[in-house]
Amino acid sequence: MDEFRFNTPREKGKIDSLAADILKNVRINASFLLWMGFLFTLLAACLFAYTIQLRKGLGVTGLRDFTSWGMYIANFVFFVATSLCGMLISSVLGLIGYRWVKPISRIAEIIAIAFAAVAGLVIISDMGRPDRLPYVFMFGRVQSPILWDVTVVTTYFVLSMLLWFFPMVPDLAIAKDRLEGRPKFLVKAYEILSVRWMHHEKQYHLLGQAVRILLILIIPTAFAIHTVTSWLFAVTPRTGWDSTIFGPYFISGAFVSGTAAVIIAMYFFRVNYRLEKYLNTETFEKMGRVMVLVAIVYFYFNLNEFLVPGYKLKTGDAIHLRELFTGHYAALFWGIQLFGLIIPAILLLFKQIRRPLPMMVISLFVLVGSWFKRFIIVVPPQGHPNLPIQNVPVEWVVYKPTLIETAVTVASIVLVLIIITILSKLFPVIPIWEMAEEENGKDKISE
Amino acid sequence: MRFFTVLILSLLLVPSMAQDPDWVVPEDRKGRLSTFPFTDETRKEGERLYQVNCHSCHGDPGRNNYIALQPPPGDPATEKIQNNSDGEIFHKVTTGRGPMPSFRSVLTTEEIWKVVSYIRSFNRNYVQKVMQVITSSAYPGAVISMKLAWDDAAKLVSVIATATGETGSVPVTGAGVRLMAGRYFGMMQVDEEKVTDNSGTALFATPEGLPGDTAGNIRFSAQFTDEQTFGSVSKDTVLRAGVVTVPVSLTAKRAMWNTVRKAPVWVILAYGLGVLAVWGFILLVMLKLRDIFTVGTALQERLQASGNETTTNN
Ligand code: HEC
Repeated sequence: MDEFRFNTPREKGKIDSLAADILKNVRINASFLLWMGFLFTLLAACLFAYTIQLRKGLGVTGLRDFTSWGMYIANFVFFVATSLCGMLISSVLGLIGYRWVKPISRIAEIIAIAFAAVAGLVIISDMGRPDRLPYVFMFGRVQSPILWDVTVVTTYFVLSMLLWFFPMVPDLAIAKDRLEGRPKFLVKAYEILSVRWMHHEKQYHLLGQAVRILLILIIPTAFAIHTVTSWLFAVTPRTGWDSTIFGPYFISGAFVSGTAAVIIAMYFFRVNYRLEKYLNTETFEKMGRVMVLVAIVYFYFNLNEFLVPGYKLKTGDAIHLRELFTGHYAALFWGIQLFGLIIPAILLLFKQIRRPLPMMVISLFVLVGSWFKRFIIVVPPQGHPNLPIQNVPVEWVVYKPTLIETAVTVASIVLVLIIITILSKLFPVIPIWEMAEEENGKDKISE
Repeated sequence: MRFFTVLILSLLLVPSMAQDPDWVVPEDRKGRLSTFPFTDETRKEGERLYQVNCHSCHGDPGRNNYIALQPPPGDPATEKIQNNSDGEIFHKVTTGRGPMPSFRSVLTTEEIWKVVSYIRSFNRNYVQKVMQVITSSAYPGAVISMKLAWDDAAKLVSVIATATGETGSVPVTGAGVRLMAGRYFGMMQVDEEKVTDNSGTALFATPEGLPGDTAGNIRFSAQFTDEQTFGSVSKDTVLRAGVVTVPVSLTAKRAMWNTVRKAPVWVILAYGLGVLAVWGFILLVMLKLRDIFTVGTALQERLQASGNETTTNN
């Protein structure tokens, strides 16, 4: 069996033209440096805020005895949620056999990697004594959902990295000879990372096996990562968290925010990287349908999560739901449900709306709504603990994130953007060889 | 939204504003005094009680590290508290107000006085006045005392009250007595309130199987209900009236709340096997990567070899 793929001149030509299109963005140019400069300046400013927190402790945040999980944890949940898009796009849709996900699967993985990586750091920012982090490993209790969370987030991050890397190996081999004018270190990195890829069928066979294992493996892991994140809340008897459907509720919410993030990224790469040919309107239209589907599923879980306790109105639930429906958080709650979920889903039912620009705008609403939804899940239940709050200063009761807290949160978002930028600027964002295969397949059908 | 914020804030502020900043103690309570003199021993016991019951809010006396409550608890070493008379402190600790809990059912009269003796040790100018004769309108001029005893056969606690005057001792009759037993949290009333008979005795039936400590000991405290008439006498005594109880530590067996070594087996297995399975597959995938590399290396070498052949052939 001595077959090499992409061996005929016609196939070689195909690879050439694809590589020319896709690799033109792999370069370190002025706009990249400018953008990174901006991101790093912002990051430095925000990290300065973190040094204050490190020096003075969590007292500089709005967190107090009652609301001890605030913006940081809400942000963490949001990050974990959004990172689930990698699993949804490449695995679930890919394994079902949808071919249109091919050009966007790598984008989805990049987003997954960035959010999963920073999610771990976000947890550390919520620690008053981060120097005690090693204790988790030294004295960690397997009974604690926190330990499960640390484990699955790490595992998911590794799997996402592998799922990004493995299908890219043939591309690296294709690209390594086409990197004239790029920095030496990059060429060297491509050389090493392409692990002597020769486009031989044997290698494709091995790669196929590895990728299939990863695609299957990442599904339970991704479910675990977000189910465990939901259990951090659901294993407590606190009103508002004490729910048996928190696992699927979180997962379905994750699909919504993840899909939104992918659509925004798709739009960005389509316009900025001039990849209209690959991230075409058809792909957007398909993603729009996916968004409608996941939004409806999420809406269904919302209905269960709020209607059932709302019908029974046990004392604690009554207080909690009144706060959300008509009380302190009403504007936020209804804003999120309407503009972050219901209206987007309805709009996307129309084919005219399922076009790149409107979808990007809608996805922005959905993504921002998703962030605030996590805030609504995390913060309000702490305002009415099972034991009454008595005789404490007002600022202990009403949680208000401080500027420092906000800056540290912004830092995490900046970090995500930095990782996405690096991965998408130094490596091809569209799988070259898979696109070539796609076109081959089309040729064969038309032949 | 704003309505609710205002509502919450005002609800929080109301109790503190509605309260009189001055904590006024009724006149007849102000002059109350301890029936025993404060000694190093009472101060030591008082310190222990203070650490257990008061330290969490009032902090270390003299260091102003009390916690931020509304109204503030204050440091016992400062004038805020030292300017109280003994009777005032006793009354405030007994009744409590707002966030300051009532210790009526937590500490016995004797124990509260011991805490007072500890608090007073931070006041150089303090000179104790002891109530020499326990005033009783029913037995003028006599010193009233109580004695507690345990009748194991009848399972009864007897309280015998005696009035000792210049002419000798007589039983205190017709006096209402309340008996409390020390429990894990605070004191529990034993039986109903009883009235002393002609011999000055009141008998209390203890509940069956009342748990004691590892030796079966229980701390009892007896007190007159009508202190005006019979005097503010109270007596704490330890009696072997309970069932021997050896507490089993909640962390002795495997449990969800235990350390990792004593975690439930199913959790260890589920977690361990899950992690092993996933990382086992990751290892497998990495081995595939190695195979890809090996295949590539072999191919390259073969190509080079055949390339060399071609050159030599030429
Ligand atoms: C839960 C917290 C808490 C605990 C426990 C507590 N206190 Fe207080 N204490 C307070 C607060 C708050 C005040 C102020 C109450 C007020 O002014 O209405 C106070 C007031 C007092 C006062 C009156 C101060 C004054 O201004 O006259 C005394 C005396 C006192 N406490 C003694 C004690 C002793 C002795 C103990 C332990 C047996 C104790 N407290 C335990 C919170 C506490």
